[in-house]
Amino acid sequence: MHMILIRNLRHTYPGTRRQSARNALRDLSLEIPAGQFCILSGPNGSGKSTLFRILCGLAAPSSGSVSIGGHDLATAPERIRPLMGVVFQSPAVDKNLSVQENLTLHADLHGLRGTAAGRMTEALAWSDLKDRLGDRVETLSGGLARQVELAKCLMTRPQILLLDEPTTGLDPASRRSFILALRRLQRDRKMTVLMTSHVFSDAEFADSVAILRDGALMAHDTPDRLKAMVGTEMVVIRPRDPAAFATVLETGFSRRPVRYGDELRIENIPPAEAVPLIAAVLDHHRADVLSIGVKQPDLEDVFVHVTGRGAAFAADAEPSDSRARQPELTA
Amino acid sequence: MTSPKTAAVALESTTVTLPDTALPAGDLPAPRLLGPAFALARREFTRFIRQPHRVIGSLGQPLLFWIFLGAGFTPSFRPPGMEGMTYMEYFYPGVLMMMILFASIFSTITVIEDRDQGFLQGVLVAPVPRLAIVLGKVAGGSSIALFQSFLLLLAVPFLGLPVTLSGIALVVMAMVLSAFGYTALGFAIAWRMKSTSGFHAIMMIFLMPLWLLSGALFPTAGVPGWLSTAMALNPVAHALTIVRAPFYADAATALASPAYLTSLAVVVGWVALCLWWCASRVSRRDKGVQG
Ligand SMILES: Nc1ncnc2c1ncn2[C@@H]1O[C@H](COP(=O)(O)OP(=O)(O)OP(=O)(O)O)[C@@H](O)[C@H]1O
Ligand SMILES: [Mg+2]
Repeated sequence: MHMILIRNLRHTYPGTRRQSARNALRDLSLEIPAGQFCILSGPNGSGKSTLFRILCGLAAPSSGSVSIGGHDLATAPERIRPLMGVVFQSPAVDKNLSVQENLTLHADLHGLRGTAAGRMTEALAWSDLKDRLGDRVETLSGGLARQVELAKCLMTRPQILLLDEPTTGLDPASRRSFILALRRLQRDRKMTVLMTSHVFSDAEFADSVAILRDGALMAHDTPDRLKAMVGTEMVVIRPRDPAAFATVLETGFSRRPVRYGDELRIENIPPAEAVPLIAAVLDHHRADVLSIGVKQPDLEDVFVHVTGRGAAFAADAEPSDSRARQPELTA
Repeated sequence: MTSPKTAAVALESTTVTLPDTALPAGDLPAPRLLGPAFALARREFTRFIRQPHRVIGSLGQPLLFWIFLGAGFTPSFRPPGMEGMTYMEYFYPGVLMMMILFASIFSTITVIEDRDQGFLQGVLVAPVPRLAIVLGKVAGGSSIALFQSFLLLLAVPFLGLPVTLSGIALVVMAMVLSAFGYTALGFAIAWRMKSTSGFHAIMMIFLMPLWLLSGALFPTAGVPGWLSTAMALNPVAHALTIVRAPFYADAATALASPAYLTSLAVVVGWVALCLWWCASRVSRRDKGVQG
């Protein structure tokens, strides 16, 4: 059964006097089976948050239909709300209340009498908040305040969880422990999770990854199959002068590289050809190359490939850890 | 919508076997109206108490107004048929009303803050009836307004009003009703507003005429025809009637008077109308346009 069923969704924000109307979603169709962990990614402004606002019933789409848990979102939002937990991209806690008060209020809104105490402990187990329950949220750091938000959503144990960039502002250790807690809960309770993220390490263990661009779905598949789309291996070169070296590769080696920041990538190289190519490049252009290596495609590469946002995107992308993992033969 | 078979699958069970039809949680056990509303109202009041400048500000203003204006007007105040009444005494229910009116309305400014700070989006996706969100905010705002006005009510014994215990009970009921009506009005207006300064501006345009034409400042007898029509239509005037009368009569006498009952009906209708208006505004979603 499909837990979330999105059909031909379009959304256009109305224009104002100073601003023209803006198309945020264009004919988006997406299906998420029950019990799946799906990561939604896409460049800034690609419509992820807009999709979330529609899914959680805060906005009504221009056209198209959404059905969640078998209920039509347009006609029966009150039947869907009990199924769903939401973490917004922007904060949604009351800064004047303490951590505990925020969680209690959330429990009251979700009708969790009696069970609230046990669940609160569970929801906070992964966090750094255990000894800060009495503190007002305004006195917490940004990341700790974010943890309150995440604890809230874990507490209600919804069947469907929507998370819009939940881990922004969290340090790597907290991010990891949150994701692990979320993943455990998701498996145990067979929750359906749709989470936006720019952090590709989050996406590696997802059941599926969907990539949006300009309000349209570019790809939606398992991480492995997405990676296969980019090819088996690629050669990544960091030259002194990327523009000039791209020409060198095209003329001298008849390879068309994709530029990504100050890197050049030759995608989809058959396994047998990578090492000879590297040897040949180093033989002739040793002085122009800072580093060169073979790389297995990861989701970040899929993202670059699918959204076609090489150089432009790399400049404002989250610092990725993929470069550290890539087996690199430093020249 | 859901078949009884699927409805039997408990939402809370650990092994959720997903049915092929709609999920059971759509059948809400019972619309939880009062629990969430109470939780939201409590939060509203907690926030208020934690901001002492709000407490001091809204308490001080009407008190000063009452003392200065009352003291200044007394010598020249000789309305027909009200001999022997000081202006201070006449003005007292009006000050009470002003306090409820302003405090109620301006308590709803927090709607704009809540939206701004993102708290509201979390509440809107919670599985509670939209009316619970409205009632929570309205009850919270009203309790703030009433907290202030009840402190002012402590002055009653020193005014020499012929008030009875049942009369006071009726006064309190009238105050609660008024507070609900004004808070709901403020809520409905604040709902779509983006800035608190805009809200201030709009509300002053609204509030001043409502209050001035309520009979709080001058008696309604003997005013020009158009003005008395305006006053008859003004819900604040009716609210003032039901607050003022029980100061001079016990509850039974007041409730036996047709004029009192008319005003009471108007105020109750006003509260219901405003609450309905709020709930319908809250249910409305930002609609995407065609384009
Ligand atoms: N309230 C609004 N009014 C008008 N346009 C909007 C509004 N909110 C978003 N948009 C526009 O809709 C498009 C999609 O925005 P959205 O917030 O959904 O992107 P996003 O994928 O969540 O981006 P990010 O990764 O930065 O969070 C953008 O072009 C944005 O400018
Ligand atoms: Mg976003």
